[in-house]
Amino acid sequence: MPEPTSTSLHPHTLQALAQIQRMDRRAFLRFGLAAAGVAAGAGLLAPGAAQAALPEGIKVMSAGEHAVFQRLLAVMLPTDGSALVPAAQIPVMQTLDAALLATMEPHILQGLKGGVRYFDDGPQARYGKRFTALGDAEAARFCDEWADSPELPQRALAMGLKKLVGLAYWAHPPTWAPLGYDGPVTRKWGLQSLGNAPLPQVSQAQPQ
Amino acid sequence: MTQKKIAIVPPHGLKLTQAADIKQRKLHLKADAVIVGSGAGGAIAAYELAAKGKSVVVLEAGPYVPSEKFTEMMAIAMGTLYQDHGGQSNADGDISILQGACVGGSTVVNAALCFRTPDYYLKLWAQEFGLSNLSPAVMAPYFDKVEANLKIRQNGPHETSIGAEMINAGLQKLGIPAGVARRNVKDCGLTGFCFAGCVSDRKQSMLVTYLPWAAAHGARIYADTRATRVLAEGGVARGIEAEVVDPASGRKKADLRVDAPIVVLAAGPVQTPLLLQKSQLANSSGQVGKNFACHPTLSLTAEFDDKVDDFHGAAHSLYVDKYTLPEEGGYLLLNAVQDPVEASFQVEPGTGKPYVSYMSRYRNTLRLITLIHDKNVGEVSWKDGAKHIRYTVDDADFEAMKAGLKTNARVLFAAGARRVHLPSSQALVMESPADIDRVIDGLKNQPARYRYTSFHPQGTCRMGADPAKTVVNPHGETHDVRNLYIADASLLPTSIGYNPSETVYALASYIADHINAAHPAAAQG
Repeated sequence: MPEPTSTSLHPHTLQALAQIQRMDRRAFLRFGLAAAGVAAGAGLLAPGAAQAALPEGIKVMSAGEHAVFQRLLAVMLPTDGSALVPAAQIPVMQTLDAALLATMEPHILQGLKGGVRYFDDGPQARYGKRFTALGDAEAARFCDEWADSPELPQRALAMGLKKLVGLAYWAHPPTWAPLGYDGPVTRKWGLQSLGNAPLPQVSQAQPQ
Repeated sequence: MTQKKIAIVPPHGLKLTQAADIKQRKLHLKADAVIVGSGAGGAIAAYELAAKGKSVVVLEAGPYVPSEKFTEMMAIAMGTLYQDHGGQSNADGDISILQGACVGGSTVVNAALCFRTPDYYLKLWAQEFGLSNLSPAVMAPYFDKVEANLKIRQNGPHETSIGAEMINAGLQKLGIPAGVARRNVKDCGLTGFCFAGCVSDRKQSMLVTYLPWAAAHGARIYADTRATRVLAEGGVARGIEAEVVDPASGRKKADLRVDAPIVVLAAGPVQTPLLLQKSQLANSSGQVGKNFACHPTLSLTAEFDDKVDDFHGAAHSLYVDKYTLPEEGGYLLLNAVQDPVEASFQVEPGTGKPYVSYMSRYRNTLRLITLIHDKNVGEVSWKDGAKHIRYTVDDADFEAMKAGLKTNARVLFAAGARRVHLPSSQALVMESPADIDRVIDGLKNQPARYRYTSFHPQGTCRMGADPAKTVVNPHGETHDVRNLYIADASLLPTSIGYNPSETVYALASYIADHINAAHPAAAQG
């Protein structure tokens, strides 16, 4: 059943990939909390800031890593023509940087950085370009090819890096409105707390 | 034994000690019993022992988060209420293993779904593990008791969700019987936010039941306090060493020692074996940490032509268990509401415009979960100073998953789905029932290929009569160390294919009764 693990990536990169895969729920917190701080402090990205080498608020990503994540965001969330909030109006990169990368264990972060480089170099063999240099259609095709790769690290990277970027976008409540999702309701609905239950009656069962 | 005055249970909140309350660098407590963990097993044991007059100390590694601080945003809930902030997984990183890690444990964040342990497994455990004491007749009063105490009852007709009603219609078309959920919920508010904690205290978690009841009987509860070693001398338990950790900084604030002649471990199926391994106790069988199972789940997401808006309602309201016993297929189907953040990574529609199109139709989707009864093939251990959960889905179990996914897809199409997405790394869609066999038969059991979630780790300190093959005896005491008990899902000798919470409630009650019978009087005070 389990296929052999590729040795083409440093073990820390594989650990980072594992961490990305399991961050589905942990990320919610970090992204949720950091998103609020980033939105309140750094403000939204101005249109065009996406092309800047390192926008304000980015402390952990290198310029090269930022370029990869920014390119991936543009490729996976082309919101033009849809009702979704344009990614440029959400501080996705700042959220990703402050909420996840800044809190990673150093060896995990280094592994992830290696994975990002590996991902960026990935299209060289087939397309003759780095990921950041691919056109939109080529970049989307590359992501889909790796998502269905026989190589475990390629599947994990395609799935994991997209999840990272996607969470940094969807964790922002303003992105929910176009979906029709109304979020928390207990207080809105006026539900009162029932509090603690009273002490129970004397126990019925006896040990046997 | 000191006779204590019974306090009145306060209307809200829980009296306890947190890291912020600790001023000393060292604390040394004495008690009749020390209990590690405040979830399903620990809270019940604490109450049952305290109610018999024993002085009890409960140590909980997680923080105390009162219900008024719950936010109904999984973003916040995962960080404050879940183990590793929701990041716990198997070593491959492709199965998210979710456990509560707060005062009240997983009972705070589960969906309150309750099943009695099937007689099938009680009989199997008797035959294969010598647990003839856990007969259906013996266990029935324990199930009765916890059901009464936790208000466990079948959902009323209104306790459902839009998605559940649609799935139910599909089941009726196929002639598959639907089960109506039984939950430990009182007057459900139908918000759908069980997994983020119940703001209005309608879910009868340990936070609003057994823990305040235990405190009313004098139990002292310490949050932010991680047990680091079980103390024993001459094969007899003596107490626990622990550290109080400031949750904000992660720094140790104090060392805490509890001397107690009764020690109960209820830290859960991951932490309990790790604590025993670190303490180098109770492992003459070599089985501590082995036999890990986790009920892996995969969700299918169905798209409909019209809006569904399956956001709120009962988090779980229906299930299909026609195929749950191993001989029938080994899988359980469960409906569940889903928020958009979780929906955003459950399937892969294709990069770019296909993804935007898919998320734009989030209102038109619902999910149906397939949960499998799995083999106990995993192991929890220490590796390079960190916990290590080695578990890959067994090939035979994967075939059960495939069978479950087929039934799942048939139900969704019968409910009117336009298409059904599989939770794979690549885009994989079934456009009609004619696609089901071809697509699902083509699935291969590969790591980092599917998006698994587990809510039910279990089995790492098996209960049984044979000290060579099991860790805990039929009454919950470890074979090797007298007066050292375990009362959590670690005990389960096999996975049971159903949500195990009520099994743990009942087993903890049973074991507490045996502790009280074995220790009719204690005198630490």
